[in-house]
Amino acid sequence: MARKILRGIPVSAGISIGKAYFVNRQKERRIPRETIPHHLVAIETQRLRNAVEEVRQGFMDARARVPEELKEHGAIIDSHLMICQDPKLVESAAKNIEERAITAEWALERSINAIGKAFSAIDDPYIRERMQDVRVVGDKIMQALIGTPKPVDLPAGRRVLMAHDLTPADAIELELSKIMSFATAEGGKTSHTGILARSLQIPAIVGVEDLEDSIRDGDLVIIDALKGLIFIDPSEDELAHYGDRKYQFEDYQKAIVKQCHLPAETVDGYRLEVCANIELAEELVQVKDNGGEGVGLYRTEYAFFNKSNMPDEEKLYEEYATLAEQLAPQKVILRTLDVGADKLLDEQAMLDEANPALGLRGIRFCLRYQNVFRMQLRAMLRASVHGNVAIMFPMISGLKELRQARFVLNSVKSELDAEGVAYNPDIPVGIMIELPSAVMIADTLAREVDFFSIGTNDLIQYSLGIDRTNKHVSYLYQPLHPAIVRSIKFVIDAAHKEGIEASVCGEVASDPYCVPILMGMRVDGISIAPQAIPGIKRVIRQIDMEECIELLGDVLTHATVSRINTKVRKRIFKRFPEELSFFASLIEQDDITEP
Amino acid sequence: MEPSGENNSLEVVVCVENELGLHARPAGKVAQLAQSFQADIALCVADQRADAKSILDILSLAAPQGTEICIKASGCDASEALEQIGQLFHDKFEGDT
Repeated sequence: MARKILRGIPVSAGISIGKAYFVNRQKERRIPRETIPHHLVAIETQRLRNAVEEVRQGFMDARARVPEELKEHGAIIDSHLMICQDPKLVESAAKNIEERAITAEWALERSINAIGKAFSAIDDPYIRERMQDVRVVGDKIMQALIGTPKPVDLPAGRRVLMAHDLTPADAIELELSKIMSFATAEGGKTSHTGILARSLQIPAIVGVEDLEDSIRDGDLVIIDALKGLIFIDPSEDELAHYGDRKYQFEDYQKAIVKQCHLPAETVDGYRLEVCANIELAEELVQVKDNGGEGVGLYRTEYAFFNKSNMPDEEKLYEEYATLAEQLAPQKVILRTLDVGADKLLDEQAMLDEANPALGLRGIRFCLRYQNVFRMQLRAMLRASVHGNVAIMFPMISGLKELRQARFVLNSVKSELDAEGVAYNPDIPVGIMIELPSAVMIADTLAREVDFFSIGTNDLIQYSLGIDRTNKHVSYLYQPLHPAIVRSIKFVIDAAHKEGIEASVCGEVASDPYCVPILMGMRVDGISIAPQAIPGIKRVIRQIDMEECIELLGDVLTHATVSRINTKVRKRIFKRFPEELSFFASLIEQDDITEP
Repeated sequence: MEPSGENNSLEVVVCVENELGLHARPAGKVAQLAQSFQADIALCVADQRADAKSILDILSLAAPQGTEICIKASGCDASEALEQIGQLFHDKFEGDT
């Protein structure tokens, strides 16, 4: 048996075996928590003393520069100086190096934590707060030991990355080619970190409890991102088992990718459009390689987050035009800026909203900050002459919002007309259906747009009242909750009644258990992560419509999620036993079993 | 090494007289002064024992006004150390409240 098995939420399928490597996000740098050979103890101790001396000298210089009128502040430097040469801190760190044979950084961290522990027991809040000073000094020494932190500091050789949390921005900064897989302590099933991992096709597990306490740098780990398990110091048997399973999974992947360019057509001839959700133009290669039939959702937020400055119209235009050109004649649906719940722009952060998920996000943000919105719409319209481009508004909660957004779009069109700039005047305009209110008035909304895209991730979140990234309630994220099934059906029916298309672009659409149900509703298309396309296309190609309709009828008669899940699982599993052994389904989370 | 141990250990009992107790600044002064001696010096409160040369150790005593502290010193300059540190306590750390 492994020394320890941790559980988390698998967000990007796959298996990897390798050495753990921590990036310490909370401190913005990596503390090498490693043991050292005994003959290096003296050298390591000297490193520590040199670092302390460097910091001490820095404090001395600073104190010499304190002007007379700021004498009061000189006292703070004095106390830092005292702490810096305090035997409790320095000598205990030196002792740690010697007794434990560990790096100076780790030794120092341990000493600071020990002092912190002692201080936290003190009743006097004033003295307890002195710990701040200890941390300041400790940080400075750590800085001197590590040197200037580099944003990308991965060692050679591919590693299993461990982190407290990885924001999409962090993930972009990292040299991902050096990472085999990753695991984080934070995060939930549909957090953006997971979406990113899937786009990059690296196995990932998030929301792992005890991650930081249980795993040290260099530990051998097995990441089972099919089931959400991490084996620390695995046994020979486990290594052998997972070695095999890794090959089986990769073989299966190869097999389905080979067939991915065949159309997504059922046995009885029902054709479904299978598009991709992407957020970077670089992902287009993946879309094509995996048999995507266009981009059903292009998230436009990245341009706004990846750089320190807001992009300008030309930059956006280039981005969108490239997409349109490369995909033509296939379509690309550009979703207007949807900043919100887990991604905030400075403007939003400044509002300091108590609950951003229910705050100024999506289309609301765009309608408030119309200069950003107009710039984006201009870029989209201009790009529309280069291919098959559609515009989609997120987070529409009512008819008025839709009309306001369309009003801005029309005014931007007139602006372009006046300037004599070319665009497609008939550019299709659609909306995301992701709020329960939009579901209820889908019949009205359908009269004023060209298509619907049902964003099930948010729809589930808002309908069931759960934060999908909160691991304490993420178990309630139930895609086949009767309320969700009925909502989706209602929206698709409303769309068809008005003669417009409805597709689904949430995680549900890449779940082999859920897709047949969506098909039973006669969904016109799905848009999913590129690497999910081959597997889903294969499921579609093996099933027939009659079966899907029957299954949907069955699902609609059951009142509880567990009955529905059991029913669906049984039926679908019987049809695709092989495929499903590799899928971590959204509806299978409650029966994760160990091998 | 200077001989140390109970035999040549000296001690004196002082009281924390300043209002705020043994806070950062007083603790810093004690530690700074203690560091100027070669002797091993400890501040003892009940069963707690703090290295007088460590501001962090002294702070962790969290001694409020009125605490009785036994200063123990051993080493060549132990008696001088006790005298000067004791004086620092009596002077309420040179005006620190």
